[in-house]
Amino acid sequence: MNRIIQTTRDDYLIAGFAALAITIHIAESALPSPLPGIKPGLANVVTLVVLCRYGWQMAAWVSLLRVLVGSILLGTFLSPTFFLSAAGALASVAVLGLLFALSRALPGWAVGPMGYGVAAALAHMSGQFWVAYAVFVPHSGLLTLYPLLMTLAAVLGIVSGLLTRAILARLNSPPPGGNPV
Amino acid sequence: MNWVKFSRGDAVVWLLAATLLVSVYTMFWQADGHGAEAVVLVNGKRWARLDLFQNQDLKVPGPLGHSHIQVRDGQVRFMSSPCPNKLCVHTGWLSQGGEVAICLPNKVSLQILGSDPRFDAINF
Amino acid sequence: MIKTFGHILLIFILAFLAACDHKPAAYHEQLLVFGTVVDVKLWDVEEAQGRLAVARLADDFDYMHNAWHAWHPGPLGRVNQLLPSGESFTLPPSLLPLIQRSSDLSRRSNGLFNPAIGKLTALWGFASDDPPKGPPPSAEAIRAILDQQPGMDDIRLNGLTIHTANPALKLDFGAFAKGYAVDRAIDVLREFGINNAVVNAGGDLRAIGRHGDRPWRVGIRHPREAGILASVEVEGDESIFTSGDYERYFDWQGTRYDHIIDPRSGYPAQGLSSVTVFARRADLADAAATALFVAGPDEKDWLPVARAMGVSGVMLVDDEGKIQLTPGIRERIYFIPSADNERTRLEIRISAAL
Repeated sequence: MNRIIQTTRDDYLIAGFAALAITIHIAESALPSPLPGIKPGLANVVTLVVLCRYGWQMAAWVSLLRVLVGSILLGTFLSPTFFLSAAGALASVAVLGLLFALSRALPGWAVGPMGYGVAAALAHMSGQFWVAYAVFVPHSGLLTLYPLLMTLAAVLGIVSGLLTRAILARLNSPPPGGNPV
Repeated sequence: MNWVKFSRGDAVVWLLAATLLVSVYTMFWQADGHGAEAVVLVNGKRWARLDLFQNQDLKVPGPLGHSHIQVRDGQVRFMSSPCPNKLCVHTGWLSQGGEVAICLPNKVSLQILGSDPRFDAINF
Repeated sequence: MIKTFGHILLIFILAFLAACDHKPAAYHEQLLVFGTVVDVKLWDVEEAQGRLAVARLADDFDYMHNAWHAWHPGPLGRVNQLLPSGESFTLPPSLLPLIQRSSDLSRRSNGLFNPAIGKLTALWGFASDDPPKGPPPSAEAIRAILDQQPGMDDIRLNGLTIHTANPALKLDFGAFAKGYAVDRAIDVLREFGINNAVVNAGGDLRAIGRHGDRPWRVGIRHPREAGILASVEVEGDESIFTSGDYERYFDWQGTRYDHIIDPRSGYPAQGLSSVTVFARRADLADAAATALFVAGPDEKDWLPVARAMGVSGVMLVDDEGKIQLTPGIRERIYFIPSADNERTRLEIRISAAL
């Protein structure tokens, strides 16, 4: 029997958003950075927009595809950089998943872009940092940096939350055929 | 739902994030922000505690005379010693948490402490 | 529902605060005994109890150091004076367990760990407070001792009465005495009801229990550079001992002569720069490290010795920096990247299982 892999509308959406995120990811990697791994995290805004409009599953796809394809395009696949950003992405996807599930269970306490932005940024930084510390540079001096990095992450998280909010406000039409979450 | 509003959920997340930040600062920035410190023991008793980022030279009195200890940019060493075999001087610079240099004849020892030493013990 | 969530939140915040407030009772003291720094770390003890236990350890170490010192005057010195006479005499009781245990380990190592070759050690100049400067002794002088083949089997013990017919026999327990002392120290700590501790006598290390919520972390020194080669976590009850050619040696005309003498050739053992042994007891780890160092870097030489002695893990670093590991250790050890081994990749080979 012939099996044809049926592409759904979601697949197109995922591919489209992932492509957008990858573009931003690559553009950001060209920016000079004071410290390796410190980036404005604009690509995360795409993840957040997708999360708010289409749910966690699709956001997870977009985020993980971005890390995978982005690293292949940048030639960093399976290099330390890749593992660092994968760790960051996995951690933030996990935390977003937790908050998303809680928001569904308790609609009165649902989290919005401002909360998601900060939580994702902190989780991303923590994931990256602890993998870097455990695997690559287990130097105690690095630990002193952690609070500073986390503060920076919180600020960047607020910025990405604000951006997400602005984008969502413009996309005020409900997603075609989908359920607004 | 209205995405533009700052929701109660957001407030809870921010509160948790703030708690996390505060605890991260207290956990990793306790007491000494500099990081590395060293202790000098004479005859097993603490004689001095050194900040490794404050360059200085010390004369430590032992039974044989003065051992000279030098601190430079996060490292510390025995610069000279009145002992016959100079094993302590040959140990060279110490910089990692847990590293030791000992002068047995003059009963002076030097060990690096750290805000977070990576090891409980060094096998050498 | 909202209430439940509030409770969860409350628990989260309390857990955070608890994590910050928790000050575990740790006790750390360093003793300048046994010719080295003995580092004692205790976990989960009251300070008064820790102080008491460590004071007792300091006394014990002092006593053992004097009793077992190979070249300072004392009980072992007296025994070494009387042994060559061939007559029977009464052994100081403090030496009996040390001789029995080291004889047993010497037999299991097939004579590669041999505390009876004190004359060779002294001939090479390693039985002295000052490191030797060379030159190495003459081949004739070495041959003269080697021909008489001193070994622990030459010792005749009957109760506390001892004699030997071998005039070349001289006891030098070297680091083994330190390993034995570490085991006694752990016994003492347990008598004090302390079950979480590390006793590190200059690299002769035994750890019991845990460091609070994590295992004890032990760094293993790099044999050729300043700094740490690898780290390993230890919990429960385990000893780690590293024997290296960098500890005591002299260089003479471009050759390094280290302090571990091969009882078969009479010359310092060649081919390895360090041997790390994992075992339950520190004295076994110690004797085995010496025996494996003598056996050399070839797996078919050292593996049978390691098996016969019953150690639980081995790491060898040879002269070229190549590393051999037993499979059990491979799973536990973590190599620390340094500027140097980043450039020259570590060459690691896994041996057959023990």
